[in-house]
Amino acid sequence: MRRVVVTGLGPVSSIGTGVTAFGAALRAGRSGISQITSFDPSGFPYRNGGEVRDFDPAAWLHRLPTDRWGRSSQFAAAAARLAAEDAKLDLDAVDRTRAHAVIGTTSGESVVLEALTARLVEAGFDAVPPQLVEQLPAGRLAHAVSEELGLRGDSLTLATACSASNYAIGYAYDLLVSGESDVVFAGGADSVCRWAHAGFYRLGALTEHACAPFDRDRSGIITGEGGAVLALETWEHAEARGAHVYAEVLGYGLNCDANHPVAPDRDSIAECIRIAHRNAGVTPEQVDYICAHGTGTPANDLVEAQAVLEVFGANPPPISSIKSMIGHTMGAASGFGAIASALAIEQGFLPPTINWSHPDPQLTGIDPVPNEARPATVRLVQNNGFAFGGNNAIVLLGAAR
Amino acid sequence: MSGENERYEQLREIIAEVLEIETDELTDTGDFAEEYQADSLRAIEILARIDKEFKVEIPQSELPELRNLKATYEAVARHAGWQD
Amino acid sequence: MTALTINGLAALSAAGDRPEALAERATALAGERHPGVSVGGIVTEDLPRPEGHALLDFDVRARLGRRGTSFYDRATALAVVACGDALTDSGLTVDDTNRARVGVVLGTTVGSLKSTSDYTRETLVQEKPYLVNPMLFPNTVMNCAAGQAAIRHKLKGINATVTGGPLAFFNALRYAGNAIRRGYVDTMLVGAVEEFSAHRAWASASGPAGGEVPAGEGAAVFVIGGGADSAGRATICAVTTGYGPDGTAEQALTDCVARALHVAGAAPTDVTLLATSETSTAGTRPQRAAALRALDGHVPAEFVLSRVAGDCGAATPALALAAALRLPADGDRSGLILLTAHGTDGGVGAALVRR
Repeated sequence: MRRVVVTGLGPVSSIGTGVTAFGAALRAGRSGISQITSFDPSGFPYRNGGEVRDFDPAAWLHRLPTDRWGRSSQFAAAAARLAAEDAKLDLDAVDRTRAHAVIGTTSGESVVLEALTARLVEAGFDAVPPQLVEQLPAGRLAHAVSEELGLRGDSLTLATACSASNYAIGYAYDLLVSGESDVVFAGGADSVCRWAHAGFYRLGALTEHACAPFDRDRSGIITGEGGAVLALETWEHAEARGAHVYAEVLGYGLNCDANHPVAPDRDSIAECIRIAHRNAGVTPEQVDYICAHGTGTPANDLVEAQAVLEVFGANPPPISSIKSMIGHTMGAASGFGAIASALAIEQGFLPPTINWSHPDPQLTGIDPVPNEARPATVRLVQNNGFAFGGNNAIVLLGAAR
Repeated sequence: MSGENERYEQLREIIAEVLEIETDELTDTGDFAEEYQADSLRAIEILARIDKEFKVEIPQSELPELRNLKATYEAVARHAGWQD
Repeated sequence: MTALTINGLAALSAAGDRPEALAERATALAGERHPGVSVGGIVTEDLPRPEGHALLDFDVRARLGRRGTSFYDRATALAVVACGDALTDSGLTVDDTNRARVGVVLGTTVGSLKSTSDYTRETLVQEKPYLVNPMLFPNTVMNCAAGQAAIRHKLKGINATVTGGPLAFFNALRYAGNAIRRGYVDTMLVGAVEEFSAHRAWASASGPAGGEVPAGEGAAVFVIGGGADSAGRATICAVTTGYGPDGTAEQALTDCVARALHVAGAAPTDVTLLATSETSTAGTRPQRAAALRALDGHVPAEFVLSRVAGDCGAATPALALAAALRLPADGDRSGLILLTAHGTDGGVGAALVRR
């Protein structure tokens, strides 16, 4: 069976664009949270978001005409371009029909949808410009990557909400393992938008200032955005071109709660962890670090921690949430988690959970790597992703052997 | 029908709709969670509809008290300052 | 590559709630275009034209009851009902012994455009922007239909939502095939759904081919399993997708069809029916030409779903396959059905299904 490796990382985030800036920010425990500017938040009681300020697509994109593509597609394409450059991949030397794009998302071109809706509220359906309708289809997120990099293989956008990047990485892994492809650009993208901000606020799942996962007083998420794409290759392909390898993708597990549209399910998540371990051929004792879904809502963190304790026993490995720094980037979230996991393995550190101040008596045994990054030998990481619809997805990354 | 009755019945309708039951199935003291399988999402939906229909904001921290129709009406009346 | 068998199917469309109804309407039309019916009764907003292809009598409560369904949007309702009908048609009983081995993958364009746009609208027109309905929030997320199908039918296996408009069904078939071949599940419910709404009607009308084809709606779902026990059942022989950058979509589609023939080990003359997916984003003519190029001059019979049921967006190729599998048995039914689609930009797909 073929092996699959990570050879390039492309983060476009609120704490830095490009692997160097993003990695440094993770180590420094920097916050990317600020008052929202992409829409007028003045009517909302809570106004913070994790926006990618000063995102300049033209600075990163070589081929994609930015006026024809929405913000999320631009995030995806810019992240993929960064991943290709980081991988030092000469695309002219790649069989482009065997190079695929698999991108995950929650809300697709949400900014386009909101512009379209604003127009129809103002002036009716017939006043909506056709250019907005043209930019709406969510499938364009992957197409933006294929167009930007000139890839002729599959171009698929998975819309499995907030675990979608892990779905994308998992499917990419299968395409590589089964011999269908040599290179896959996999990850996710989403944009900050009014409707998600409103919806999460209304669910009581939004917090006012700072997201504090695993803290006793945690009170919710901060909506965020960005693009997170990884260049994945078969081991043979990477080796033949002498590529630098960050980590190996060992496998993944998916399952579905089939129970409730929004509430996380402890038993189902525990089962998903077991499936992922089984598929990746690893045991709980081998896991050095868990990159948590860790949204910072009371319910998620409790249920996630209980599921981890159920599978790993009373002393699980350290588990931190990078959402404390970048907010909940929705469909990009587990893509950023995978990038952080690859960096943890390659550079030997655990990203911190910032904004943490009080241990939660209900989470005894959980080590959230509070506030400061920690040097560590990291050989095996479990990257968690959960979503509305009960779409659980967990990816296992290991040190390159 | 007095104002109180009218508002009480309006609240009954709102809650029955969220719980996906007929209005006559919703009793004054029937427990939302125990008897009508309401989850926290439905409870929040009830708060949201009260906010929209009666312009009364009940904080989410009071959700645990809103166990049945009668208790919910009392909470709404208290926050709205209804005297009748 | 192991072929996948189709063990059951369902299709809800303007022609009716069974695939046979769609096939019968197609036969009666004999290639002519159905004009659609007046759809003003099911929408409150203005429409770009009075006609459409909607399931005017569809009532989810009549099919599934009130409990659990009153917050469904139309796309979710259609998908959940179609999943149930397909399971029934397959004869598969889902219980605690197998529910973790049965999954769902559904194709869409943007989920329920109406649900999402209406939610955003509320943030603009309400007195306070956060006066939105919590229960409707999940409907703004594109995986709502697949997630609710899993809840209703208690399916705990892989649950996925793929996008791509008319390409989404091909993505879904590939995704499902992978999940079965990799051993993650034994059975996948594979389908696609699109709802009729004023939002979609306007979006469809603004597309390049929107002038000719009124918007439609529907859902088709197939119960797909591994190769064993395939006697008498339709089999999916090949599904290929690709991308043509820089305006090379047509060539990419020809390549997809050629690749599908190669994977299936089939000759162009084995293809007895070509079903192109005409939607408002892509006309039918370039697809037909691109497919025929790969068939080396062989011209099979043709079927264009939108002439029968309107622009059904993501549901188009899935409904076409359901109809094709239920067409009356006149002449040679034994050959291969070739399905094609061109999504937005350079996205293309092809599939070969043996009847």
